[in-house]
Amino acid sequence: MQLAWSAEDEAFRAELVQFLDAHTPPQMQRGFDSYDVGDAHELVPRYLRDWQATLFDHGWMVPGYPPELGGRNCTPVQTLIYLETLASRRLLRSGHFPGYAIVAPSLLEFGNDEQKQLVPAAIRGDTIWCIGMSEPNAGSDLAGLQTRAELRDDHFVVNGQKVWTSYAMIAQKCFCYVRTDPTLPKHKGISLLIIDMDTPGIEIRPLRHINGTAGFAEVFFTDVIVPREQLVGSLNGGWAITQGSLAHERAGLWVESVSRYEHTIENLVDLARRMGRDTDPVIRRKIAASYELGSSLRALGYKGFASFAQGSSAPEHSYMKMATSEAGKAAYELGMEICGPLAPVSAPGLGVEDGRYVHMFFMSFANTVAGGSSEIQRNIIAQRVLGLPRR
Amino acid sequence: MDFSLTDDQELLRDTAHKLLERECPPALVRAHIDDPSVYESLWRHLAEYVALGNGPATDACLFLEQTGYVAAPGPFLATLLFRSLAGDDVDRGATTGTIALVGDDTHPFVLEADRVESVAIVLPGPKLAVVGASDLGVTFVPNVDFSRRLFTLAAPPARAEPLDPARLAAWRDRAHALLAAEMVGIARRIFDMSLQYAKEREQFDRPIGSFQAIQHKLADMSLALERATAAVHYAAMTVDAADAERERACHVAQAAAGEAARRILKDGAQIHGGIGYTWEHDLHLYLRRATADEYLLGSTGWHLDRLADLVMGPSQAVRGL
Repeated sequence: MQLAWSAEDEAFRAELVQFLDAHTPPQMQRGFDSYDVGDAHELVPRYLRDWQATLFDHGWMVPGYPPELGGRNCTPVQTLIYLETLASRRLLRSGHFPGYAIVAPSLLEFGNDEQKQLVPAAIRGDTIWCIGMSEPNAGSDLAGLQTRAELRDDHFVVNGQKVWTSYAMIAQKCFCYVRTDPTLPKHKGISLLIIDMDTPGIEIRPLRHINGTAGFAEVFFTDVIVPREQLVGSLNGGWAITQGSLAHERAGLWVESVSRYEHTIENLVDLARRMGRDTDPVIRRKIAASYELGSSLRALGYKGFASFAQGSSAPEHSYMKMATSEAGKAAYELGMEICGPLAPVSAPGLGVEDGRYVHMFFMSFANTVAGGSSEIQRNIIAQRVLGLPRR
Repeated sequence: MDFSLTDDQELLRDTAHKLLERECPPALVRAHIDDPSVYESLWRHLAEYVALGNGPATDACLFLEQTGYVAAPGPFLATLLFRSLAGDDVDRGATTGTIALVGDDTHPFVLEADRVESVAIVLPGPKLAVVGASDLGVTFVPNVDFSRRLFTLAAPPARAEPLDPARLAAWRDRAHALLAAEMVGIARRIFDMSLQYAKEREQFDRPIGSFQAIQHKLADMSLALERATAAVHYAAMTVDAADAERERACHVAQAAAGEAARRILKDGAQIHGGIGYTWEHDLHLYLRRATADEYLLGSTGWHLDRLADLVMGPSQAVRGL
């Protein structure tokens, strides 16, 4: 156990810092919080697309991957340093996570050679992907999904509906989980298809987030023809891929989540000073407890999860997902408490930072639901980490 | 940044675990309630490890997690704290010791004063006096933790030498990390007992651990335990590196360990149901240590308030250590 990083790892960090100093676009300097309050007019602004391509071209997009996949074959520890450095500068890698974070690792693991050709563009962000998972009746019970794909000779015919599909309005491709055999037990009749979003029969209806912006959509499939070659993995073998891709989504996210949380706590200290609440012993103790939580979660992340930055699918991700999403919500609540009667005021100039904390509080509702609700995370911890019986 | 254990550290942890499992079963902790001298059989083994008090905090913490796990009676923690502060100065022949902090109302008690050779007494100034325990008047203070003996000091010594405040500050942080390590050890014992019980105990024809209400409780206990353990290891590393984050990290470790211990002892007792609050069941032997430890070197709230001073700047005069 030691605090210091190795000389090689420090050299890695220095090279990254040099790159970021030279290439970070000015629009990125405002940090990632602003995306949460929905002030980005475009869903994925141009400069953010260019930034992702720049990262890829310099081997800084997913540094653990080889150069042809936007990386530099770095070690898991260096990936952690990379994520930590980006997070400390509040830099996003990409404006759309599904492609590089879920599709790419899943295709590398389960796709055939032709499908793997799609990976570089997914990581570079040239192709925007959405993930067709949730349905009106398949949320936490993902295996209950009902979107039907019938195999007819050389193609599937897809009918059904997906919902909460992030980026569906701008995506070129959908990583879509469908039911290919309704006679099998529910986990065993699911397959994964790559569906081009311009295929006839697909209708997209944007859904507005609680903050008023359109971040996700409903997607309707009516007799959509999908060539058989676009099946990923084996027929009726899709469930194993969902397990991988959910884990990929969580992999490495803890560094950003913890950094975001710690940054929020720093902001709360400033806010308490500005609002004259920094000598209030109740506020002080709550801020200290929040600091303690962030600091101990960072230690937990380092201690147990360094290898997960490379995308392994160990269930311990659930600790960090559950803890950081719930901590974030509580921090925004504390922000509202510090604001006092001004907490719900969103009018520019009248409230506190245009209602930043109440907006963030609302937006934080997504974090304890999307990507596996806190309740599902607790089930996973209880059953897969602690070995408690399912029934 | 490397949280992985070296081979030597793994060996130390495993050796401690096996030794303490063998030499400090629940029966010994229970026997200690009526006959404090039973600790002597255990002490013959633990005495070989007191040099951990002068070594890296990471090693000391790994060992203390294991003494905590068995609620080991005797002056092991006291001696490690003593040697951390005074060990370089005192006669190497003295193997046992404890600490007294005079004029510190957050830390009023002296651990195990009736079974150590020396007492390092910290006086306002700060000053330090190391005196023979038999030369001091001490008064036993009964408390709920039967595995640990607390005392108050009758009168401070007449003579004391100046103590470098930086050395005292470093010792204080180290002491917080060490106690926090013992606390996560005791919390892990209660957690393990509760998890095992949830898997075995059946109601409504199923193990109670199959019920979501119990599963979610254990998931939350587990998170609290794992993050407190990580915070302790991080704190120990900052102590060994004399890192700028040391003071914050050690308060974080104690606060996280205190929260984890309290959550786990409460929810662990709840999971045990009626048997959890009986004298016959062993659970209470460990609940007692977990409860008392939280108040030994500053309560969770006290550590949070110190942390607030460090994070937000002080808002009032700092009392205590």
